[in-house]
Amino acid sequence: MLHVSDLTKRFGGIIAVNGVSLEIRKGEIVGLIGPNGSGKTTLINLIAGFYKADSGRIIFEGVDITKKTADERVKLGIARTFQIPRVIGNMTAWQNVTYAVIGSRRFKEKKMTLTEASMEALYYLDIVGLLRKRDVLCRDLPIYELRLVELARALALNPKFIMVDEVMAGLNPVEADNVARLVQRLREEFKLTTMWVEHVLRIIMRSVERVVVMNEGKIIADGEPREVAKDVGVIKAYMGEEVVI
Amino acid sequence: MVIKIEERRGRIIIHLLNKSRFEWTIEPRYWRNPLIVVILWILLPLIMAYYVPLGIVGIGSTTLLSSLILANVIALSAIAHSLQTIGTGRVNFGPQFFLVVGGYVAALLNKNYGLGSELTFLASFAITALVGLALSPLTVISRGLYFTLITLVLPLILGELIFWRGDIFGAETGIPGITRLAHTGDPMNDLLICFYLSLAMVLILTVIVDKILRSRWGFMLGVINEDEDVASSFGIDTKKIKVVTFTFTSGIMGLSGWFIAHYYGAFAGTMWLEPWVLIFILLSSVLGGKAAIYGAPLGAYFIVLSRDILRSYIGGGYSLLLLYIVLLIALYLLPEGLWGLYRKTRYREYVPVIRIRRKL
Repeated sequence: MLHVSDLTKRFGGIIAVNGVSLEIRKGEIVGLIGPNGSGKTTLINLIAGFYKADSGRIIFEGVDITKKTADERVKLGIARTFQIPRVIGNMTAWQNVTYAVIGSRRFKEKKMTLTEASMEALYYLDIVGLLRKRDVLCRDLPIYELRLVELARALALNPKFIMVDEVMAGLNPVEADNVARLVQRLREEFKLTTMWVEHVLRIIMRSVERVVVMNEGKIIADGEPREVAKDVGVIKAYMGEEVVI
Repeated sequence: MVIKIEERRGRIIIHLLNKSRFEWTIEPRYWRNPLIVVILWILLPLIMAYYVPLGIVGIGSTTLLSSLILANVIALSAIAHSLQTIGTGRVNFGPQFFLVVGGYVAALLNKNYGLGSELTFLASFAITALVGLALSPLTVISRGLYFTLITLVLPLILGELIFWRGDIFGAETGIPGITRLAHTGDPMNDLLICFYLSLAMVLILTVIVDKILRSRWGFMLGVINEDEDVASSFGIDTKKIKVVTFTFTSGIMGLSGWFIAHYYGAFAGTMWLEPWVLIFILLSSVLGGKAAIYGAPLGAYFIVLSRDILRSYIGGGYSLLLLYIVLLIALYLLPEGLWGLYRKTRYREYVPVIRIRRKL
């Protein structure tokens, strides 16, 4: 589904992503882990069109999207969440999901009205369990619920491929478990191909089918969670000790 | 009976010819405030012009009407400027540039080619919008301070051009002999006609912008204003929307120039490129209510009337000094603007507001 080849991004003298090549198959759930500053979020930003790559190519469902803008990639079926929730604080949760419905390709294809888009937004809010909070301004929502708004907003784009960026950051263990279950459920219900960036290794190692490990802008391991957890290079670069799954 | 009035379930119902009926809820919190405001807005100048000959504020009726007309012109540009700020996420510091372009288009076409005010109206909008379209890539390639500086320089360039090609633009004397909008022979009637024409333009624009902001376009403009990166991450074509918004609002600002040219019967661009025009337009947006479109006319009326009342009581340079002090105090005391006083009772409705970014 997604084919990234030799992708590079520099910020001044720093090479944030250094010749990364990656293949993600349809329906797969892939965990992307690595220490802070290893280039995970930059890779997501490159795939989402947030940053322009200095070199390399990104192919999505056979289409070269390297030069496409972020909104064009969204129309092709790529969605993302942000590491630090970036919702519109002056809008309610409902309005935040509504504009995502308006931005989706379905909105144009089905010639939806604003009312229809609002109704569809309610459906996504209900799925993530935020229907009761629909009229609360996002600036008044706690971090856990902001994460849920982010997920609902990404779903509203009707994506084929979703990138979830550290969705558990700042959550307590119970909330983190809830979100992990929700991501799994959404993936199954909506048949989403998922790339999941996370720091909470114990959860991600048991939730994904494949783990890709990045360090200093490069991919240093790619395989099943059990294999990766035992990889000496990964342990040295990131974990410090073997993770018991 | 032709008219039948009855009170039922807390409402006054007026039946007309047993065919149509008009209902009004007695409880004040359910009153249709926009309707009341529009009626007052339409009637007040008429009352002031004929029934309060010296005005209630110490200035004559003609001066008062002239002030209200200027307030409408400023409001027209301020509404367009507010929409532009919302839809592009950038604050344009050269709205008077577009006003002057529109004014010159009207003046030159009327004077040199004999086009009537109806045709120059269309031409002013179209040509200023085209100039806006040509400059619209600025909204894509620059933001923050760079955009502000570029737009600040535009009026200066135009000012130089006006002096350089004084043979075309008439330098500081401008272009005289433009067909007037109203020429009935009675100055008061002329003023009233011009007032109601300018008011109609402001009301029509307010309704159009209100419709835009309540539509899906309004949603997209609001998201661009709040966070452009988020907007593009959620499928909104930010480039297209910014270009369209900048083009349309530039055309509207040009219409302010068209009105000025045909209202005064002469147009001197250098006068309208002066900083006070920019300050009045920006302050109308901000003091009215942080780019709330309904606040812009409120801000324009407050500023223009304050200026003229202070001028009539104090006179000279002190009145302007005092005006700016009054405006500064108003800005300090009303961070949400004049419209914010009303909005506080209806905080749930989302209306995009100016969000000036400090980071580039």
